[in-house]
Amino acid sequence: MQADQRVASDIGGTFTDIAYIDDDGRLVTGKVPSTPENYAAGVVTGIGDLLTRAELAPGRVGEMLHGCTVATNAILEQKGAATALLTTRGFRDILELRRIRVPRLYEPLYVKPPPLVPRRRRLEITERMDAAGGVLTALDEADVARAIERLADMKVEAVAVCFLHAYANPAHERRVGEMLRAAMPGAFISLSVDVLPEIREYERTSTTVINAYVGPPVKRYLDSMVEDLSAAGLTRRLMVMQSSGGILDAATAADRPAQIVECGPAAGVIAARELGRRCGYPDLITFDMGGTTAKAAIIEKGRLMSADEFEVGGGISSGGALGGGGGYALKLPAIDISEVGAGGGSIVWIDKAGALKVGPESAGAVPGPACYGQGGEAPTVTDANVVLGYLSQTTLAGGTVEIEAERSRRAIVERIARPLGRDLMETAHGIHTVANANMMRAVKAVTTYRGRDPRDFSLVAFGGNGGVHGVDLARVLRISKVIVPPAAGVFSAIGLLNANRELNLSAAFRTTIADIDVTAAERVWAGLEAEVRARFTGEALAFRRLADMRYGGQAFELTVPLPDGALDSAALAALGEAFEDEHERRYGHKFAGAHELEIVNLRLVGVVPVAEMGAIALTDAPPPSGDTSRRVHFGPGFAAEIETPILARADLDARLRAGPFIVEEYDSTTVVAPDCRAALDDHGNIVIDVAEQPGDTRS
Amino acid sequence: MSANIDPFQLEVLKSAFDTIADDIAITLMRTSYSGIIRDSLDFSTAICDPNGLTLAQGVCTPMHLGSFYDAMRKIIGQYEGRIEEGDVFISNDPYTAEGQHLPDIYIVKPIFWQGRLAGWSTTVAHHSDVGGIVPGSNALGAVEIYQEGLRLPVIKFVEAGRPNQAVWDIVATNVRTPEKVIGDLQAQMAACVSGERELCELFERYGLDTVLGYADHLHDYAERLARAEIAELPDGVYRFVDHIDGLGESGEEIVLNAAVTIRGDQCCVDWTGSSPQVRGGINSTLPFTKACAYTAMRSVMPADVPNCHGFTRAIEVIAPAGTVVNPVHPGPCGARGITGYRMIDCLFGALSQAAPDKVTADGSGGSTLPTIGGYQDGKAFVFCETFMGTWGAAETHDGQEGVPHMGANQTNVPIEMIEAEYPLRIERYGLVPDTGGPGRHRGGLSLTREYRLLSDEAVLNVRSDKRKHRPHGLFGGEEGHASSNILARADGAEESLPVLLTDPVYMHEGDVFRHVMSGGGGNGEALARDPALVLDDVLEEKVTPAHAAEAYGVVIAEGPVPRVDEAGTEALRAARRTAVS
Repeated sequence: MQADQRVASDIGGTFTDIAYIDDDGRLVTGKVPSTPENYAAGVVTGIGDLLTRAELAPGRVGEMLHGCTVATNAILEQKGAATALLTTRGFRDILELRRIRVPRLYEPLYVKPPPLVPRRRRLEITERMDAAGGVLTALDEADVARAIERLADMKVEAVAVCFLHAYANPAHERRVGEMLRAAMPGAFISLSVDVLPEIREYERTSTTVINAYVGPPVKRYLDSMVEDLSAAGLTRRLMVMQSSGGILDAATAADRPAQIVECGPAAGVIAARELGRRCGYPDLITFDMGGTTAKAAIIEKGRLMSADEFEVGGGISSGGALGGGGGYALKLPAIDISEVGAGGGSIVWIDKAGALKVGPESAGAVPGPACYGQGGEAPTVTDANVVLGYLSQTTLAGGTVEIEAERSRRAIVERIARPLGRDLMETAHGIHTVANANMMRAVKAVTTYRGRDPRDFSLVAFGGNGGVHGVDLARVLRISKVIVPPAAGVFSAIGLLNANRELNLSAAFRTTIADIDVTAAERVWAGLEAEVRARFTGEALAFRRLADMRYGGQAFELTVPLPDGALDSAALAALGEAFEDEHERRYGHKFAGAHELEIVNLRLVGVVPVAEMGAIALTDAPPPSGDTSRRVHFGPGFAAEIETPILARADLDARLRAGPFIVEEYDSTTVVAPDCRAALDDHGNIVIDVAEQPGDTRS
Repeated sequence: MSANIDPFQLEVLKSAFDTIADDIAITLMRTSYSGIIRDSLDFSTAICDPNGLTLAQGVCTPMHLGSFYDAMRKIIGQYEGRIEEGDVFISNDPYTAEGQHLPDIYIVKPIFWQGRLAGWSTTVAHHSDVGGIVPGSNALGAVEIYQEGLRLPVIKFVEAGRPNQAVWDIVATNVRTPEKVIGDLQAQMAACVSGERELCELFERYGLDTVLGYADHLHDYAERLARAEIAELPDGVYRFVDHIDGLGESGEEIVLNAAVTIRGDQCCVDWTGSSPQVRGGINSTLPFTKACAYTAMRSVMPADVPNCHGFTRAIEVIAPAGTVVNPVHPGPCGARGITGYRMIDCLFGALSQAAPDKVTADGSGGSTLPTIGGYQDGKAFVFCETFMGTWGAAETHDGQEGVPHMGANQTNVPIEMIEAEYPLRIERYGLVPDTGGPGRHRGGLSLTREYRLLSDEAVLNVRSDKRKHRPHGLFGGEEGHASSNILARADGAEESLPVLLTDPVYMHEGDVFRHVMSGGGGNGEALARDPALVLDDVLEEKVTPAHAAEAYGVVIAEGPVPRVDEAGTEALRAARRTAVS
């Protein structure tokens, strides 16, 4: 029996999604309730059910892919390890003082999130480096020994070490690491030179602390997951998603736990990249709309965009926006994903001056939208979509939730339409439109804020509500094509199956391009390469080299890929040009050789590519609501109510079909407006041609 | 909301305007050069309608809120009929261009749509230097504006697409750091272009008339929202007097006399009775004084009031000419920021009477602004940062530590970046125990930062606050600790410098400048503080056991694990209460 099958499990707040694609491209998916007391239980149940349905023996499963929330939750719930921090003498408060900035203006009553390591467990060590890595004060080992004694009294599980300028000279941190490991064999030790050997002390300290703080819980989680899976006959290796969109084996991930903190939304973007590659859509905006938030990212010429840095637990953020300061800074490779508080459950309300607002409060799964009849009285975006006829009038979530459309109508009339003096349909459509305006900001944060024009992209819409809002969101952004993939509601789990194995490493290397010591740079890369090879022994590896660059004097870097091959003058020129082009694209100007170019960090990505997956075969399940048509309101510019066919995905084919129609599936709904047309492509994607907005007043 | 306004369209366009203002800000932040812009984020951006009224302001520096209005009115008035497509305006002068102070340079671009003036992209950024008698151009000792640096009336920096080279050359010649200043001006222009592109996209999509029509509705909406919030405050006149310690070591204290009148849905901030303008660079020009009043009022409004011009209509500001809050020519104003911060603090003092649950006790005040400038290897360097901050305690919680002033959401400069770029070493950066004002809720601790000079010689200039007049407490809470500026010479001698240094001092290699900012004020009686919280502060090493006893009447039994001596505490507190009554 060959163990060559791969099964993915993706943990969400409410459900755990399971996905498996067999050799014939048949997709089998499952949804089981998540089991927070021991997530492994839900995963084991879910995979067990799925294997039964797919008629697959556990022994055939050669690899399990996993997306988890353990690291994020440890931070959000402040339930990480008891962690200590060793700093350079005089600087114990860097972690607590952060970057000073707060996430919101005009809030005198704002309370900062508490530091992950309290002051009493932040100990100062006598030592000091300068910016060039020169030793100003030698490491006082007696001081370290005293600190270790105090740590023993504190019963810490994890210790982070971050000294000033350690990126320039790791000697002191390394020596302290040795002493800690010798004295505290069970503790999780995290050195900044291992986690993030880059300039900027707060970001490096915070990232190192997060690594230490989530280290013990992540290790316990993965160990127990492996154990429970083994007990169920699933004995092969477990791979875990990282924030960067690559996967890592569980053991390596446990050593570098900070890398998996923001892995949740990454898998969906990876699935989109694979969809784009396979189906021929190189430039995509991903639009993932669930119950409480909407997320956006871009894929440009098949490449992911990486975020400069992000914060954990900062609340809803727009990746590129000016916010920041509200969460815990984590400066590790991550996909640039922006998020706004607009989802199906977002609550609709009217402010003191009579303006309509959507979110960021969410009705969540409990009590849920008004139509659930579970005590939720406030109207939500989902209620508006029910009133408009976009969603089934009787059931949601593939028939698992029964609803009463009348409750949606009542909530919107009483709470919104009547106070505004508007009629029901106009109000419901207004809510839908305002939700789109909020979500547009998420898309803008990864496009125009990054110098990209949304019109150059297609929108791939997924998540339970992606297909309901995709067309209208695309119109606002002047995007002409919307793609709704098969199994859009469990798209992230599919992304796990598409992810490459990947290890990201970096090293500080400050120089100008003109003065670069090529031999030294090559030596740094060779060191990083050896580190990757040590992790991925015997694998077919590909390497990508990148550099963080800026104009001399700027404070922010852009990460730019290097051409393959030797680092000769042509390669350096190409690197400089790539940086300047990206600078121009993002910010509208470049100095074209007139200004010094600086390198700040060198990066290496080691990749073991995943085997290509075949096309997904479509199921022929009928629409879960059982409807064949519904009366639907498509907003101004269309008749007030239009009898609209309700179809299954398999009812579409390669011929363009004119709207209106609605495709209802087990895990998602796709709304195609009357002036749009859609067809299935060769890969089962619904591809919608979006018309300009009706009633567009452009001259 | 009036029946002919589509509330959905209004919300959609409001969101779009906000997005544009943020987009301008991000471009400026990411492409600028000087630390004070790129790290401290001392700049603001706005998108304006054709009349120069702000439609949305980037989420940057609240103190600039509403400050574009006067400058825009000036530009439009002066150039009426001569504003062309492709123009870019530059200005900074408070007296001829309604500017704020000379380091804040406005770069403003008219936006045209189908040949018609349809809006403005606007930016104002604090530049690292604009000449004058001290590096960084914020001389506290200046006695007239002519000493403060290069004055720019409203000029076309770019005329119909052609750079006005003479102006560029004059700017580059008159500043100590021409590469940074020119680079930052280019960043401001790039930012304006991104705003122009985005606004034109809205015109293309919704039509010029629709967009501008809703721009008017947006102002009305913001005004309504602000008025609804003001109406919730009890009517009355709320007064508060605050003092700036004074210029130099023996300067007279400067009075800020605020009267906030709430009547129905209207608010008036009156500064009558404040000190006459001073012969030092801390006079606050009128546009800035107004912006500070808007910031304070906006901070007691929980609703998400749009940052557009309409919101300011509900707030009247009275500032008599010739005073420190509205100087007349040629009053110097290079370091007026400190007065602005203190005005906001003073207004919070007044508002604590009207809305005790919406404000905190006083905090450390405006950013301390150390400027260290000199020459290294023949090239000028100017190091400057905005060092913040700690807050007073609220009714519900202790003062926050490591936070910006409400007037300016700025960041600190990374130590490693400073040391990599300047001949400076930071010797210490952190919290100072026992400095928070005692109270049922404790004020935030002071922050300290020490700068050692590594080059031969440099000029030190310092703008700071709150040594004599310390952050006030509220409702029985006590004052926070006083600030201090110490210059520790390499030979061991130490001298104390005034909060506002009118005569810059020379530092030499090895000298250390040590600043301790003031601590936040407490809220409520210190003797009423939960002993468990005092113990926690002791364990956190934020309060020493001696201070716990002295300030809070809490006796800490020291030992391997410190704990509260409950009987001792009860006795000590009883004795304190008797002594007080």
